[in-house]
Amino acid sequence: MRTKSPHIGILFFLAIGVLPFAAAFVYALLYSFGAVGVLNTSYTTAFWAAVFRSGEFFKSLGYSAAIAAVSVAVSVGLALWLVLSYRRDFEKKALSFVLYLPLAIPGVVAAFFTFQLLAQSGFFARITYALGGIDKARQFPDLVNDPWAVGILLTFISLVTPFFVLLFMNVYKNERLGELKTLAVSLGATPRQVRWRVSIPILLTKTRTLIVLYFIFILGAYEVPLILGQQSPQMLSVLIIREMRQFDLAKIPEGYAVAVLYTFIVSGAAVLLFYRKKKTADAF
Amino acid sequence: MRFSVKPFILSLLVLLVLFPFAYLGLLSLAGDWRFPDVWPAYIGLRNWYAVLSAETSLWQSFLLSVLISVSVATAATFSGFFISRLVYYHPKQHLLTLLSYFPYILAPVVFAACLSFFFLKLGLFGKSGGVVVAQFMVAFPYALIFFGSFWGSKTQQLEKLVATLGGNLWHTFQRVLLPMARGMLLVCFFQTFLISWFEYGLTSIIGVGKVQTLTIKVFLFIKEANFYYGALSCVLLILPPVALLYINKRYVFNKLV
Amino acid sequence: MFLEVKQIRKSFGQEQVVTDLTFSLERHKTLSILGQSGCGKTTMLKMLGGLVTPDGGDIRLDGASISHKKPEQRNIIYLYQEDLLFPHLNVFENIAFGLRLKKHPAKEVRQKVETMVESLELQGQQSKMPHQLSGGQRQRVSFGRAIINNPALLLLDEPFGSLDAGTRQRMQQLFKKIAGAFSITSLFVTHDLKEAILMGDEIAFMKSGVLKVYKSKQAFIEDPETGVQSEIGFWKDLK
Repeated sequence: MRTKSPHIGILFFLAIGVLPFAAAFVYALLYSFGAVGVLNTSYTTAFWAAVFRSGEFFKSLGYSAAIAAVSVAVSVGLALWLVLSYRRDFEKKALSFVLYLPLAIPGVVAAFFTFQLLAQSGFFARITYALGGIDKARQFPDLVNDPWAVGILLTFISLVTPFFVLLFMNVYKNERLGELKTLAVSLGATPRQVRWRVSIPILLTKTRTLIVLYFIFILGAYEVPLILGQQSPQMLSVLIIREMRQFDLAKIPEGYAVAVLYTFIVSGAAVLLFYRKKKTADAF
Repeated sequence: MRFSVKPFILSLLVLLVLFPFAYLGLLSLAGDWRFPDVWPAYIGLRNWYAVLSAETSLWQSFLLSVLISVSVATAATFSGFFISRLVYYHPKQHLLTLLSYFPYILAPVVFAACLSFFFLKLGLFGKSGGVVVAQFMVAFPYALIFFGSFWGSKTQQLEKLVATLGGNLWHTFQRVLLPMARGMLLVCFFQTFLISWFEYGLTSIIGVGKVQTLTIKVFLFIKEANFYYGALSCVLLILPPVALLYINKRYVFNKLV
Repeated sequence: MFLEVKQIRKSFGQEQVVTDLTFSLERHKTLSILGQSGCGKTTMLKMLGGLVTPDGGDIRLDGASISHKKPEQRNIIYLYQEDLLFPHLNVFENIAFGLRLKKHPAKEVRQKVETMVESLELQGQQSKMPHQLSGGQRQRVSFGRAIINNPALLLLDEPFGSLDAGTRQRMQQLFKKIAGAFSITSLFVTHDLKEAILMGDEIAFMKSGVLKVYKSKQAFIEDPETGVQSEIGFWKDLK
């Protein structure tokens, strides 16, 4: 049983599963210190200093985190409300197919669609015009590429909410929430208490890891803010790619520095998430 | 009698879900739809005819996307299945799975940007093969984690049972593990297919505009402000996942942690 | 002797799970081994089956050492406590599994499986899937799948542990019948006193990794450590 083949397999795993990530990280790190790349200035901390001085990274991080937090919070809240109110209707065959349909829409398409609806010459502006609300496209409030990221938020919420609805439906069934609710009622809980002390805590604790994961995914999202975002601040991925593709060669290492920072934050989150998951998994 | 909002909310929900599909479909059939018209001046198949002509090469993009996604899904599903067995049976299982989480959780576009130097050196830049390799790097960790739940103690016991009944490792895979995992393999195949099918950022970096998958086309049309063709590419992009949903919802809904 | 086990030992880390295990067994006999859970009996069986590598000692089957053979080459079948059936195969294919591995001709497979199904009293269940069977039926399929391969040695690890009392009794009778009919050599591990006495031609007691084989059933009954005496005392006191 103990042959060499498992070792070869693990080597293969390291080669395709770990090496690319490590290589990308090391390369970005070296680039950010000027050790490799077009400039080849030899080791310097100037680019890192520039990143911290300009503050653009922190602005972008805060902006991305805020968008991710609002999107996830609204989506989870909406999904909780929908599932707890209309779960039985959702289980009917026709409606259940409709519920899954949004999963067929990727970020690119959702962003494109939002743009078509909300732009100043978009569908909603036309309807407002037809109803006599505005005379010119300019008068319609700018909801794409806007400072409040309304377009981005709406897109993320409409992308993520359906997922959480399906997830909660799933957990509801697997955790036998229906039976637990009956049990709680027989112990004297009011419908309100059942909702706040049984249903919502169970649904949230069972999906905690996925909620955090979706926060991280949105933090690094690219297509949606690329289409619907404004010039400044930009979401992290958009900022990183913009800096790396600048004509000003001195800016490129700064892009790599931001990429290193971003990778660091996300990896840290992954480690935390993973060990917490392991701990809860061991507990059960 | 108490007034119920339920029928209204449910109808609104259905409308909200169906609206994007209807609107994109309409836009793909439209022409000369200028502000402030609420309804397009032209509705017909002229955009769709254009797709079949060589002019926009959308058709080629569709085929290229299918080819790339099928390659990525096949490679990721099978390597993920076999390697996850070694990873999840390994004494250092936890460390190895954690390592595979990193590329999964990182934004693919940033991952690609940091890797582009290596792709350039390997001559994979701007090549379909390069895009397949890059997308595989994202889809593989997914598949690896996906199959993690398969390699539990029950499966280990079944493997030992086969050994004690006189079967070798080849028998174990051929007669027990692969047939048992058939459903999971199929689900993983379609989900990795969709990861690749929906991928934009990484493809745009490694493909440098030369490998024009459907998502890349959508962006190009947006940049050209050609919204009719943009909508048409969107419809092409949405069709396969809708078909998959119709066949089996599990192919599209993933709740992987 | 057909099976000879000499000074087998195994420890996991600091813990000595099996200590200097030595015993032998004649052909076509059943040795039942009584022991509480955690006494090392499962580890012992798995070492015989080749699923766990011993730290030392030797196992000889029919005169030849099998210590370094892979499990699939030993012709020893280990039967799990749970009725571990292949979930993707029906009753017929589960029983036929070993024969198919050895590429027996289809006709012969059909014939052998049908005979086995009959002696297991499973007629009419052949095309059912494992999840459609009751616990006792599943255990019978699991038996048939092992015995049809004509194993040199059958290792049974609490095979009836998860069955209810009535089913358990029927299974004990069925096993005795089949073991006789197919001339099975087997080790039967159980924590049930009555079952140990009922199933074995010979009998042994295992405690903290040490195995003690009794010369006769009488010797087993008289040893206060086995718990037979206190059991007898209990029933006497009731009167």
